[in-house]
Parts: sequence; structure tokens; C-alpha cells
Amino acid sequence: MTGTAESFGHDHAARNAAWEEALERDGLPEFVTHRLEEAAAGRGAWVATMTPAELLLARSHGIRPVATVSGTCWFHYGWSWTQGHAQGWHEALDRLRREAVAAGANAVVDVRMRTLRHRITSSMDYTLIGTAVRIDRLPPGKDPVIATVPALEFVRLLEADIVPVGIAVGASYDWLNRIGYGGYGGIYGGQTSWQTQWKMRSWTNQPLHELTDFWERIRREAHADLRAAAGRQGNGVLAHTQFGQLIRREQDKQPPAYLGRHIVIGTVVDTRPAAGFHHEIEQVIDMRDDLSPLTDPNEPRHSGYEADIQDEEGGI
Amino acid sequence: MADNQIPEHALTRLAGLRREGHPDGIFTSDFSVNEFLLVRKSGFEPIGLCVGSCIYHVGFQFAGWSSSVELDVLSTAMYEARALAMERMREEAKQMGADGIVGVRLTVKRLEWDSKVLEFVAIGTGIVHAKGHTGFKGPKGEPFTSDLSGQDFWTLLQAGYRPLEMVMGSCVYHVARRGAFASMGTIGRNVELTNFSIALYEARELAMERMQLEATQAGAEGVVGANLHEGSHGWSTHVIEFFAIGTAVVPIEGGSHAEAIPDPKLVLSVNS
Repeated sequence: MTGTAESFGHDHAARNAAWEEALERDGLPEFVTHRLEEAAAGRGAWVATMTPAELLLARSHGIRPVATVSGTCWFHYGWSWTQGHAQGWHEALDRLRREAVAAGANAVVDVRMRTLRHRITSSMDYTLIGTAVRIDRLPPGKDPVIATVPALEFVRLLEADIVPVGIAVGASYDWLNRIGYGGYGGIYGGQTSWQTQWKMRSWTNQPLHELTDFWERIRREAHADLRAAAGRQGNGVLAHTQFGQLIRREQDKQPPAYLGRHIVIGTVVDTRPAAGFHHEIEQVIDMRDDLSPLTDPNEPRHSGYEADIQDEEGGI
Repeated sequence: MADNQIPEHALTRLAGLRREGHPDGIFTSDFSVNEFLLVRKSGFEPIGLCVGSCIYHVGFQFAGWSSSVELDVLSTAMYEARALAMERMREEAKQMGADGIVGVRLTVKRLEWDSKVLEFVAIGTGIVHAKGHTGFKGPKGEPFTSDLSGQDFWTLLQAGYRPLEMVMGSCVYHVARRGAFASMGTIGRNVELTNFSIALYEARELAMERMQLEATQAGAEGVVGANLHEGSHGWSTHVIEFFAIGTAVVPIEGGSHAEAIPDPKLVLSVNS
């Protein structure tokens, strides 16, 4: 029998060829499809990243884990670092969804965004891994939702009538005052850029309006982009990852140019406006020492002030 | 428990039956799941991320070797830049029609290409009352600001208070170096370095006073989550910034009486 796990066995060349062919046609190698279909039919063991507590809650709500699914795309930024990020994640997302469909899943939960910390220039790998689940009351899904939240939170969101449906990426970049390339500076540059330069050399306090406006515009555009990306899937987005850089480049006989780039990544949710949240909330004080606010009064108990911008990645 | 706890709407959406999208009314937020749920539980809906930033060139100030003084130029810079970032954030919230901003994070970042240029960012989620209650606005009908998380926001409302405004006070202080004679005089003795003590006291006092004054001017009853940070943003060792920040609050009109607030239950969770 060709096309099954047995026939491919340990034949690396054949497996590589199968992967290549699958990526080419936006599909999956047959041995992957086979494994996922077996799991969907309940003939193999199911694989879940859930903890026992999450499994408990999933089961009590009629949700069954099927298989661990993933999607990877190693992407090279040819012309734009910023757009490359958005494209890389979207490609990985499509591939993850493909595996989920093969597993007959209604949703993929606990989707983690991962990248390797490597130093291979101007490229990055985008990997998504999650647990495909079936919902007992629904037929196998054709278009499963991708939830970056753990199973426990997935169920809690569903109860509150909020469906986490996917990932949205918003990105924006621009140059300020780059000679010969237009951009923002092409319109506003010249005079004001020199003024910015003088202000930076002065001895007094100066808000740098031009740079501030430029930088804020990029960030807002990234957020607008995120909003637009989210609008194609749901009606809200919980942005968990923000990353921005403002880079200065010196220029000959001219004020320096600035490159600003900003990326926001979030989980898209779909919900009815003003759906409310009807669970009773009981206030408890946990008496474990490391959780009590009474033991460490100096520790900030809110997120008011941080020394630097976060650029971590992870679930919401 | 039966599986009917998942609402019909959610099931329909999971089945992929409702995918036409929402051309308008898409909210953005940096809430966690729990924050989102608790903000909703409080009767509010997130509408959008509000960002304000300010890139600021900090001026120069000379401080005498042996004098303990406030460095006005730096104090002003640190305060003004943050206030500008907050103002821009609030302006964005106003344009969205938000009643307020919760979960505000204030960050200061030194840009690597110029040690005198600091980037201040204020970011938070603009929210509106789901039923259009207007009693939650901040001073002068502007959106309120608060660095409380969604959880803290819910708890604050339960306590009968509402946030009014983030208040802050900054004081950058130069602590005098000790002269050679003074140092020699204390060799081998355990003594208090009084001038150091006084300098720290004074700097902290000034920062706190300024924050408190801001709260009073905003018409607040008190300040919750007040925090005092000591920091140095690339200055010499004897220059310290004391930065006080907190959320000014007022009682909710017709809010619940103290007796009506349920006592939290004491639990000891066994999963570690």
C-alpha cells in the first residue's frame, strides 16, 4: 500500500519529496493526512497539550482532543521586514488550519506561536503548534477556528459567548527624512528635520514633536492594520504581543533618517456586543504565602510602570 | 455538567456558519482573557487600544559636587514627557468616544542612538459603559485613566469606588557627595549619614506631595495602587528619580454601603 506511514517508513528521501510536493500544492503529505485521519476516527491515541484540569473542563463541556497539529514557515524578508512578519505568520496559520481540517477538528486550542532564536540573516521561522479538538454537538469542521488560548480559557470564553477565532497581525513601517526615497520625510522633511537635529543638541528640555508624530503615526497604522486584519475574522482582537523599533541612520550633509517599524499580534475573538458575563464571581483570598498580597507589600500589584517595552511572545 | 453550557451563538460561530465579518465595531485591546471577562462583568466593553507617546530630549543640568538639590530640569522633563504621552493617549480615547482607559502601562525607554533622548509611551484599552451610563467619565467629562488591570477595575467598582485619573509626581534629586573630611571623620565608626537620609526623604516627599496635589485637584477622595519607584535613566550615580504613581478614585454616587460588600472567602488552594 503506497502513501501510508508504513510504506514511507524511514525513507528520508521519499518523505522529503512528499513534503516538498505537499508545500507546493498547499496540501499535506499523505502520511500526515493518514495519521490525522486515524486520530480523527479514534483508531489511534489522541494527543493533547492539555493539562488534566483542562481535559476535565473540556470533557464536561463536550469537547474532545484529537491530535497535535502544527504549521511552520521559514520566511525570508526580501523587500520588507515588517510585511514579512505578517506574511510568515499567515502562511504558518494556513498550514496549521490544513492539518486541523484533516483531523476533522472544529477548533484548535492552545495554539502557541514559536520561533527559534537563530542568527540567519533577514529570515525567521514562524511556527504554530496546537491541539485540534472536536465538539461533540457539531459535525467535523471544514473551517476550524484557531484559538491561541489554552483549553481552560477556551471553554471559559465559549461560556461567555466569546469565540476566539484566529490570529491577526498588524504591521507598519516607514522612513522619516530618507533622502531620495520619499516616505514621510519626503513631504515634511527638510526644515523640520534640521530643527529636530538642533533640538537634540540643545541644553534644554525639548519634546521632539516631529519624531513623536512620526513614531506615533507608525504605531497607529500598525493598530489600524491589526483592526482590519481582525475585521476579516471576528469583531475584536486581544493583542498580546507588541514590538517596535526606532532606528537612526546617519546621512551625508543631511539630518539623519529614521526607520520606525511596529508589529502587533493578537487573538481575534467573535462575540456579540454587550453580551455581558453571567457567571457569579466569588472573591477569595488564597492563603498560600506566595499568592497573598499581604506578604509582599512592596511588590507592584498592577502593571503601571515598566522599565522597558515588552517584546515577548506567547498566548494572550 | 452537561455540554449545553456553550451558548448557541458560540456553537454557530464554531460551525463556521457566521463568517460575514463585522465591517465596523471591531475592538482592539491588550486585555488577557480574564481581564476581558471581568471588564465585561463590570458592565463595560472594550473599544480600542489607545496609545500616546512622546520622544523627548532631556536637557542638561549641572549639580554641585557637595550639594543635595532637586534637578528641576530633569524633574520637569520626566514629568512633562509622561504627561504629554498620557495626554495624547487620552486624546485618542476621546476620539473613540471612550468613557475611560484601563490597564494603562507607562514605559520609558532610552533610545540606543542618543543617551539624551527618551521615549515615553502610554498604552491602555479604551472602554465604554455597555448601557451608556455617563457617570464614569473622568474630570471635566474627559475619559478617565487608570493603571488598574481589568481584575483590579472590577474589584474597585465592587468596593464602591470608580477611577478618576492616573496621578503622578516626579522628583529627580542629586544626592551630595561627602567631602573628604566628613569621610575621614566616620572611618571605623557606625554612624548615620544624615545628609544622605535627608536627601532621600526630601526627594520622596516632593514626589509624593506632587502626586497627592494632583489627586486633590482632580477632586479625588483618595489614590489606590500608589507606588513609588526609584530609578535612574542613564544619569550619574548620585542622581535618582523618585516617581510616584497611582490611580485617583472617588466613591460611586449611590454606591454600595460598606456593610453590603461581601467578605472575601479564605481559601487554600492545594494545587501548586
